[in-house]
Amino acid sequence: MAKIGVFICHCGENVAAKIDCTQLTAAIGEHPGVAVSVEYKYFCSDPGQESVKKAIREHGLTGVVVAACSPRMHEATFRNACAEAGLNPYLCEIANIREHCSWVHTDKDMATIKALEITRSLVEKVKRNNELRPIEVPVTRRALVIGGGIAGIQAALDIANAGHEVVLVEREASLGGHMAQLSETFPTLDCSQCIMTPRMVEAARHPKIRLLTYAEIERVEGYIGNFKVKVRMKSRSVDMKKCTGCGDCMLKCPVKKISSEFDCGLGKRAAIYTPFAQSVPNIPVIDKKRCTYFKNGKCQICSKSCPINAIDFTIEDEFLDIEIGAIVVATGFQIQNTAMYGEYGYGKYADVITGLQFERLASASGPTSGKILRPSDNSEPQTVVFIQCAGSRDPSKGVRYCSKICCMYTAKHAMLYAHKVHGGKTHIFYMDIRAGGKGYDEFTRRAIEEDEASYVRGRVSKVWQENGRLMVRGVDTLLGRPVEVAADMVVLATAIIAQPDAKEFAKTVGIGYDEYGFYNEAHLKLRPVESSTAGIYLAGCCQSPKDIPDSVAQASATASKVLALFSKEQLEREPVVASNNEATCAGCWGCVLACPYGAIEQKDILDRSGRLIKRVASVNPGLCQGCGTCVTFCRSNSIDLAGFTERQIFAEVMGL
Amino acid sequence: MSEPFEPKIVAFVCTYCTYAGADLAGTSRLKYAPNVRIVRLPCTGRISPMFILKALQKGADGVLVSGCHPGDCHFTHGNYHARRRWTVFRALLEFTGIPLERVKFSWISAAEGVKFAEFINTITEDIRKQGPFDQYKQLIRDTESPATL
Amino acid sequence: MSIVEQYRTKVKELLSSGQVKMVIGYGAGTTPDRRRPLFMRSPEDADKMLLDNACIANLSGYLVSEGLLSDEKRVAIMLRPEGVRSINILAAESQLKAEQIVIVGFDTAGEELRAIEGSEAKDFCALIDSLKESAPLQAPDPLFERIVQMSPQERFNYWQEEFSKCIKCYACRQSCPMCYCRRCIVDSNQPQWINTSSHTLGNFEWNIVRAFHLAGRCVACGNCDRSCPVNIPLRFINRRMGMEVLEVFDHFPGMSESQEPVLASFKKDDPETFIL
Repeated sequence: MAKIGVFICHCGENVAAKIDCTQLTAAIGEHPGVAVSVEYKYFCSDPGQESVKKAIREHGLTGVVVAACSPRMHEATFRNACAEAGLNPYLCEIANIREHCSWVHTDKDMATIKALEITRSLVEKVKRNNELRPIEVPVTRRALVIGGGIAGIQAALDIANAGHEVVLVEREASLGGHMAQLSETFPTLDCSQCIMTPRMVEAARHPKIRLLTYAEIERVEGYIGNFKVKVRMKSRSVDMKKCTGCGDCMLKCPVKKISSEFDCGLGKRAAIYTPFAQSVPNIPVIDKKRCTYFKNGKCQICSKSCPINAIDFTIEDEFLDIEIGAIVVATGFQIQNTAMYGEYGYGKYADVITGLQFERLASASGPTSGKILRPSDNSEPQTVVFIQCAGSRDPSKGVRYCSKICCMYTAKHAMLYAHKVHGGKTHIFYMDIRAGGKGYDEFTRRAIEEDEASYVRGRVSKVWQENGRLMVRGVDTLLGRPVEVAADMVVLATAIIAQPDAKEFAKTVGIGYDEYGFYNEAHLKLRPVESSTAGIYLAGCCQSPKDIPDSVAQASATASKVLALFSKEQLEREPVVASNNEATCAGCWGCVLACPYGAIEQKDILDRSGRLIKRVASVNPGLCQGCGTCVTFCRSNSIDLAGFTERQIFAEVMGL
Repeated sequence: MSEPFEPKIVAFVCTYCTYAGADLAGTSRLKYAPNVRIVRLPCTGRISPMFILKALQKGADGVLVSGCHPGDCHFTHGNYHARRRWTVFRALLEFTGIPLERVKFSWISAAEGVKFAEFINTITEDIRKQGPFDQYKQLIRDTESPATL
Repeated sequence: MSIVEQYRTKVKELLSSGQVKMVIGYGAGTTPDRRRPLFMRSPEDADKMLLDNACIANLSGYLVSEGLLSDEKRVAIMLRPEGVRSINILAAESQLKAEQIVIVGFDTAGEELRAIEGSEAKDFCALIDSLKESAPLQAPDPLFERIVQMSPQERFNYWQEEFSKCIKCYACRQSCPMCYCRRCIVDSNQPQWINTSSHTLGNFEWNIVRAFHLAGRCVACGNCDRSCPVNIPLRFINRRMGMEVLEVFDHFPGMSESQEPVLASFKKDDPETFIL
């Protein structure tokens, strides 16, 4: 027999001014199953909560309805009070008679009737509430960080420094990502390598970090706290345990004219190589597509030149199975190939380069040792034109969105150029200067005022070659007339786009992505570092274009999410999850398709001899987030959602 | 003159958007008609057509269903599923003679307290004009009358 | 050779060669104009088989009888095109494996019965595609058009009068190949969503919920309509649902065994003009 206690809160005058609480208390007291109904000025106060607890104990209440403010305010307060009095917290419901009633209505009679109906319907609901216990899921306290750029390194270090194991997977031969390619960084102009390489070394040497470079994620299974990950260790053909990184092999390798990916095609590398001099780990890999031995079965010069016989052409790909509790995806970005702008002549004229190529030219460790030289003739350009939004904010040829960092790095390029080539001239064609960020607008002003970058607001329509120079025709929309500049070099601020395999990779890991292939956060504003899959977090440019400070901030945020998850041995989750009645389930799998979280699996029901009797749906409470979409789909009414069961809602509606 | 007809309206809303929007209407002290009773659900994906039928059986003259705007669903796409169900269910209601003026659907976000208040006022006035849903109420009365042999 | 003889030979061959363990076809009914399902297990059974214009029932529902397919042996069944669509839906909803079902297809062309080519559901794709194309062009039914033209009040009254005849015998459910749930929602009493009494409210709720459950799944075989002992024109409600999913979601039920159920899938740009 239900014994429901109803507690009607005046909320000072907030409720009482518009609702006749005494009448409400009396009326609800008459309702079947209501054992006690009392009013009080502030039930959320200490004495108020005490009186609720006392009533629970004295009357042996089986359920509680607090008619007060929104459950979004004090549901947790009263559920805790119930728990303290020995009543399962999920046997407490809140009737919202303040935000939804007294505050919005002027007619006291009508408001009182409404309050009564609201309260009555929740009394009917709470009669059908079940005792629920938080769901406990074990947690493997080991994190996987995918991507060894600055975001991945930051996340890995933060997690490892808190004392948890981290597996850091990078698909290239070295850590570093795009940040390692940069020359100086805005807005401080500190050298990227100087701040990046120590972090790379720190990550590689960290006792809690297991670094897997030249490795890719093959498969991710499981759910929050309990992922099973398969990693493919691509064969380097170099024994990592033996190799000392002396580099003799790279010097002796006869295939030397391979265009270096790290130098964006401006430099050369051998077939056995490390991506760059400061690579971590400093162990080369053999580029099997270019290596003479792998192509023709002859050569092996590297192997002969290796003083410790570390080169082993027979090494094959290896697979590792790792148990993981949380995953940070920090897979980064690529820059868009600007060849679609035929009019800019990228790919046609050697001196039309991308911003990233300019970074390599300006970098002290780059192919020109930091001198700004034209790729065509190694001469110092006297005039450089920068074209911003060469891809970004261009729905017709490029991408619709703003790549966010180009305004800043273009200003930086103009400054670096001015510092390196005295008397050189820069012209920057731009659409808007977007310099939001700490010290950013000051930085662009410095480029204009101190380093004399000449900004031209307008688009470039054509670049062509004339008398050994690049002619740039554009428009100055502020002056309202066309402009033509003769330049020695043109630098395109290309768009940041998702990695080429971003969508496939999202499917491998089990997260959502948007139309561009950037990964979807669970909530753009309130859960910006969580993916839609519990236990998988996003850091850096794989989620959206962002600069280094934002990437690092987001990476640290993912680390804090991971650490919060790892702070307990068992993961406690709200028990608002679906469950299936296997006896009545027809096995149509509509729920499996409808579930936004892939939380419903097929389960085989076998007889004693192991023969399949039928297949039914089975909800994994670790993955279920409690939306109830499956419940509504289920034609046989087999799936139900704890806390919002069919019985509860039926009763709630019929109690209105 | 007789009292104006006060329709009974039942609203099924998701807790993350429309319920919060109604809370905001409250904290902003907006005033709206007192005819709506809200049933809170985790997501529009949880709102079954059965709820609407039961609300009508309970004597509702109008039903309102509301949740997060497309793309805003806390559960990523519960509202997309809901939208399909509503499309189909509306066609069904229409074809069986339940006036669509009595069953309304909307997207109201947690920030749209004003939209919530205005929406309740509009729908209340609309349904007041429609009058009580006598046809359905007759069905309900019939359930209580003795069977004829 | 008449089509009946042709098909009897085919059935005998299927059974005697052991390709299938059973053929579901049509046999004589209680009156000369009626046909009953015939479950043929041996070649001799084929002699009792009939095939004519009275063979209209969609037999696919018999395939999901408890235990029939669990031994993985193949079963053949005589189906019209809508029956083939039912097989696709049942396969899409994991109630059977399409490759386990041998389809002996036939159709009516004018007055004549004709055989249709193919032996597995996937062989009928082109035919079903053409059915989808021609679906909006179907000859209008005068009564259906009249119902559509009615005012909501008139429509309400029309259906209440029809539903008032319902005796909740559930013949519609029993005859429907899509009603394979082990426990129907009407039999679920915690809570009792649908009034089980056969008063008009209960009947209304039952019929509306059944129609909703069939939305995007009904192939308009007409089993429910024909089996209704009080002649409620159930086909109209289902047809209206079919029109809706075709027009709004471009969904024609039973196109293939991999077709996603229309209410368990969505597009982000599904139309929503009615949402305020």
